[in-house]
Amino acid sequence: MSMAPPPQSRWHTATAVVLAVSAVAWIWLVWNAPVDSRQGEIGKILFVHPPAALGAYLGFILTGVGGALYLWRDDERFDHLAAAAAEVGVLFAVVMLLSGPIWAKGTWGKWWSWDLRLTLTLLLFFVYVAYLLLRSFTEGSDRVARFAAIYGIAGVAVIPLNYFAIDLAAGRSIHPENLGGDSLGAGMGWPFAMGLVTATAAFAFLLVRRIELGWLRSERARREALAGARGAS
Amino acid sequence: MNVLLAVLRKDLLIEWRSRDRLVAMLVFAVLVVVVLYFAAPPGQEETARAHVPGLLWVAWVFATVLGLGRSFALELENDALSALALAPADRGWIFLGKALANVILVTTVQALSAVAFALAFGLDLWPVAGRLACLAVLGAIGLCSLGTLFSAMAIRTSNREVMLPLLMLPLMVPVLLGAVRCTQQLVATGELPWSPLQLLLVTDGVFLIISFLGFEYVLDE
Repeated sequence: MSMAPPPQSRWHTATAVVLAVSAVAWIWLVWNAPVDSRQGEIGKILFVHPPAALGAYLGFILTGVGGALYLWRDDERFDHLAAAAAEVGVLFAVVMLLSGPIWAKGTWGKWWSWDLRLTLTLLLFFVYVAYLLLRSFTEGSDRVARFAAIYGIAGVAVIPLNYFAIDLAAGRSIHPENLGGDSLGAGMGWPFAMGLVTATAAFAFLLVRRIELGWLRSERARREALAGARGAS
Repeated sequence: MNVLLAVLRKDLLIEWRSRDRLVAMLVFAVLVVVVLYFAAPPGQEETARAHVPGLLWVAWVFATVLGLGRSFALELENDALSALALAPADRGWIFLGKALANVILVTTVQALSAVAFALAFGLDLWPVAGRLACLAVLGAIGLCSLGTLFSAMAIRTSNREVMLPLLMLPLMVPVLLGAVRCTQQLVATGELPWSPLQLLLVTDGVFLIISFLGFEYVLDE
């Protein structure tokens, strides 16, 4: 029995094409980017780490937004969006949490510092890992969606509170400040910008694929429940 | 409001008759004191004393997680949770009744274990006892608001013992940091700092609003 194609499939090809083109351009630009005179080759992590952070924060915010929309409209599609955003966000967060310490060891001389941004991001990572575990340990699609929506909203609401809390406790941050207009060296602007474009494209591609997967799973569960009900009668 | 009082009375009465949660939480908190005392480097009592506020709150947070894990366990027996869900009132009031009972329980454990901490680490907490009690209540409100909501969720997962601390601890950082900073300064100078207190108050407010509104969807069966 063939299933009807999920509604997101038209986005599938579009995001795949954008991802492929931007990834090729990004790799070429990073390959040819000038090497930072103080940091050396390890400075090129700049073209990976902030784009990964962009993907992670996009995922976390969309999780909260998807959860809130699910509770408001009671529409399963928003739950698929929230679940997909959390999984993709955690994936980007892992890339960010791995690339950051590698750069830090080469530049600061230590893997980790308990300063504001690092601690905030680590806590956020744990919140969304707990979110995914909550989804996998809860049974019943409606209950999973409701519980996850509440936890996702709480996770987003705590971001500003955590920011003030860690700001209060951590003191001066050694993490580089936000990049300004001319804070990148000559020739580094394009690979950096393309990194952000590629990360956004990769995020969109994975998000669409994961939403499709969620849709197919719930469709299969519906068909199995229907077949079971027919068999019983 | 009547529902709040009825749920509060029921939970406190059950606890008064059995006292199992209170005893378990208290023994656990005191055990944490003992473990932390032996974990502290020998001959550095001054350093250990400086860390007491942080250690105190670590013990209280873990004892709270332990106690909240049982908060909804009784409601599963005889399907009492479904009966609660059918109560003819806004479910937010049921949440407030459960949360308030938990705050009273946690505050009792905090008071008794603070005495054990003071004796073990040679601290004179008596001059700041009133303000420390207010801080303990504010911290307990923060811990028990989201904690009660998550407890209602965790109880219906397949891995309930593990799920509650995993859900609670990453979100409790603002409560913990605000309370620890306030307690540190209170014990050291006798004064309450405004910024951490503000953080604690705002966090309590935000957590209460999220939990009050969110409980509607947790009990919706």
